Amino acid sequence: MRMNKRVLLLLLPGLLFLAAFMLVPITLTIASTFVQDGKLTLEGYLYFFRDGYFNRILLTTLRVSVVTTLVCMVLGYPAAYYISRASARKKSLLLALSIFPLLTSPVVRSFSWMIILGKKGLINSFLVNTGLIAKPLDILYTPTAMMIGLVHLFLPLIIITLLGVMENLDHELVRAARSLGASPFAAFRKITFPLTVPGLIIGGILVFVGSLTAYTTPALLGGKERVVSTFLYQNAMTLNDWQAASVIAVIMIVITFVVVGLMNAWANRLNPKG
Amino acid sequence: MNKLMTTGLALALTSLLAACGNNNTAATNGAGTDNAATPEATSAGAPTELVVSTWGFSEDFFKEAVYAPFEKEHNVKIVVEIGNNAERLNKIRQGSSDVDVVYLSDYYAQQAINEGLFETIDRSNIPNIDKIYDIAKAPLGEEYGPAYTVGRLGIAYNPALVDGEVGSWADMWSKFDKNLALPAITATAGPMIVDAASLVSGGTEFNEDGAFTKLKELDSNVVKYYSQTSEYVNMFGQEEIAGGPIMEMYFKDLQAAVPDAKFVAPSEGAYAVMNTVNVVKGSDNKELAEEFINWQLSQEVQEKSAKAKVDSPVNTEVVLTDEEAVGVTYGAEVISKLRKLDMSFVNEHISVWTDRFNREIGG
Repeated sequence: MRMNKRVLLLLLPGLLFLAAFMLVPITLTIASTFVQDGKLTLEGYLYFFRDGYFNRILLTTLRVSVVTTLVCMVLGYPAAYYISRASARKKSLLLALSIFPLLTSPVVRSFSWMIILGKKGLINSFLVNTGLIAKPLDILYTPTAMMIGLVHLFLPLIIITLLGVMENLDHELVRAARSLGASPFAAFRKITFPLTVPGLIIGGILVFVGSLTAYTTPALLGGKERVVSTFLYQNAMTLNDWQAASVIAVIMIVITFVVVGLMNAWANRLNPKG
Repeated sequence: MNKLMTTGLALALTSLLAACGNNNTAATNGAGTDNAATPEATSAGAPTELVVSTWGFSEDFFKEAVYAPFEKEHNVKIVVEIGNNAERLNKIRQGSSDVDVVYLSDYYAQQAINEGLFETIDRSNIPNIDKIYDIAKAPLGEEYGPAYTVGRLGIAYNPALVDGEVGSWADMWSKFDKNLALPAITATAGPMIVDAASLVSGGTEFNEDGAFTKLKELDSNVVKYYSQTSEYVNMFGQEEIAGGPIMEMYFKDLQAAVPDAKFVAPSEGAYAVMNTVNVVKGSDNKELAEEFINWQLSQEVQEKSAKAKVDSPVNTEVVLTDEEAVGVTYGAEVISKLRKLDMSFVNEHISVWTDRFNREIGG
């Protein structure tokens, strides 16, 4: 493909903006973590990785993000599929409904969940009043509450991404498979699913990165459990330790890249031509 | 290509979401719309601009009762910058703002002083200082600004959920059953809880190890270490907690949710919570800023804000009825019993305490 060189100039404003406001600050942040007292060192990182406490926070964060991503995939896929097959009018209504959680602030959303999940909340009142359980369950202020809040927050992202892919799906292919004797499930497994894998992966990456870096929801719903972003906030804002905060930020960036790489590899295995 | 785009997208999102973490840093112009049209401004030339950095709670009250009369009298236009203590202090640290007057809690104000970010004040320009409680006159030294409000941290509780009456800090260890909320170590009240735990552990001198052993004992009874008072109020209303340490000014919100709620000043002493006003180094309007501080300390402003239950008064001339004094830290006797933490000491130890709190307790 040949491109007119002058057309490339159109990219320039965007690139300059990204360079000035993203690449430069990120590079500076990363560089600053390797320097301590004027010397080049890995001490900042070694300190964190030798520290059992930090490793525990990191593991909690990863566990919460992975579970949130998987739950979003499982819930989002059928929802997106249903929406993509709905009639045009129904589709816009359903789409608006599924985007709705993104339109309220995380603070409002988290406070609503507190009312639903609390000891005297809707769920526990219902379960206790109907005699299903004797004592209220501890849901609020646990990692489970964090995951519920995050799934609520990020489900729209995966639905929207999947919808984009599913709407471009050529249903003639499915019909061809059926006419050649494939069962509905086989047609789904061999045709629909592989073709929608890219959407699932991109949506999954968005959800994972979002959960990894989310701050408000874990801070409000998470109780005593910490996640990396709340730890980072504590270091930067209250302790004014920007060095430690930068190290944590770089660790988060690296994790993001590793996970994106792994998910892309997985996508390639499921759909080699994607 | 596809892979590259995904990676870029993910990275962009990481930074985007990270930036969303503090979504209220943007400076807002609190005064502009209301007062731009006042005729005084035109008759006496262009008004001077005074930039005030503050939290942003009860914004309407401040606009009407504090800023507007001052603007009128001094031909000033007050521009308000809003955010929490840490955010606003960081902005001043970066030197990227032109703030003249800054409201900060004593803990953060001490940090600013240590880093030389404040002007020393000329007390002769702030005559109202003579009318305020001694504790508020120079909480961080004679050279720096006064506390314009002194509140107190005590214990609030829901009598229906607690065994008997709560009367001391030590009662937190005996009368609550898995339904206590404590302030997070990094919250304003966090260091006060460390001090209270040290008191309960015995001895008059501050004892760090004793305090942390005590706090560890208490941990299994704590539902949540709260950073925002709104979390506490919500948990209290939902009966998620039976109570815990909280500032008196928020008691009215607790009462609205649980009419029987009680607030006590523990027998060992409630803690003084002080908010200071200071002039930022490099301000072009130092004298005007000092006049503003004087106005904030005046009987008129202090009484209005006490009656509106916005801030507890420090001006000794303020008179409140019993009803008006509910939820307000008021009266020379109350003030004289408060325990005051040494903010230099707290600032020196806070990173060690935070680290120990994180590791040994949970927070």
